[in-house]
Amino acid sequence: MFRVTVKSNNEIELIGRLDASQVAVAREALDRVDRSSTIDFRGLEYISSAGMGVLIKTQKRLSESNQKLILVNLNSHIRDIFRYAGFDRVFEIR
Amino acid sequence: MEKKFPKEMGSLNSVFEYIDEFMLYHRINHSASYALQFIVEELFTNLVKYNRGSENEIAVSLEKVGDSAVVQLTDFDVDEYDLTKLPEASVDQPLGRRPVGGLGVHLVRKMVDELRYEYSNRVSKIVVTKNLKSSGVQGHGQEQ
Repeated sequence: MFRVTVKSNNEIELIGRLDASQVAVAREALDRVDRSSTIDFRGLEYISSAGMGVLIKTQKRLSESNQKLILVNLNSHIRDIFRYAGFDRVFEIR
Repeated sequence: MEKKFPKEMGSLNSVFEYIDEFMLYHRINHSASYALQFIVEELFTNLVKYNRGSENEIAVSLEKVGDSAVVQLTDFDVDEYDLTKLPEASVDQPLGRRPVGGLGVHLVRKMVDELRYEYSNRVSKIVVTKNLKSSGVQGHGQEQ
């Protein structure tokens, strides 16, 4: 199960497991983001490349208006995978 | 252990349950569990997305050999598609030049100890070996 909680205008929380079968849920939420926002990974147990693609696509779109996503509270597995994917060079990860 | 799954994204939950059963049975640690789920998802969804010729079910086999898991995905009556020959993803590119796709196979390569492809009589097989004693998701012998 995966869900997205919008905590405020620029704070979003991802919760559960973001695999390829849940990617439409993430896309729908992130397509609405139009300004720099913090994505809280505290409740996210798992993400695969399908979900990572949504993050990259959103970051690309936001960068066109000098906005960005900031990723926080990643678990160690997700942090490792993001490093292998070079995400630490295209996202601010805290 | 081998189980067959319909060739569709909706099978993923059942695939994960099957991996959980395997991990519980062999009392495999959480770090290796994450990596195994990731590897199997990426390979399974690759076969679904780039379906090359049939609607047959995909067979997923999980076996523990020593300290490793050997994962085999078999796709029946399909054209050849050797994902081990795909070019490396451009993960060092700046954001503007970075393609959105192509990450999955790149990450699988980073996480496994061996990735092999076999094709014979229109049967396509991907065989992966993953050491389960790894402390993180990275495979042994894979350069960063």
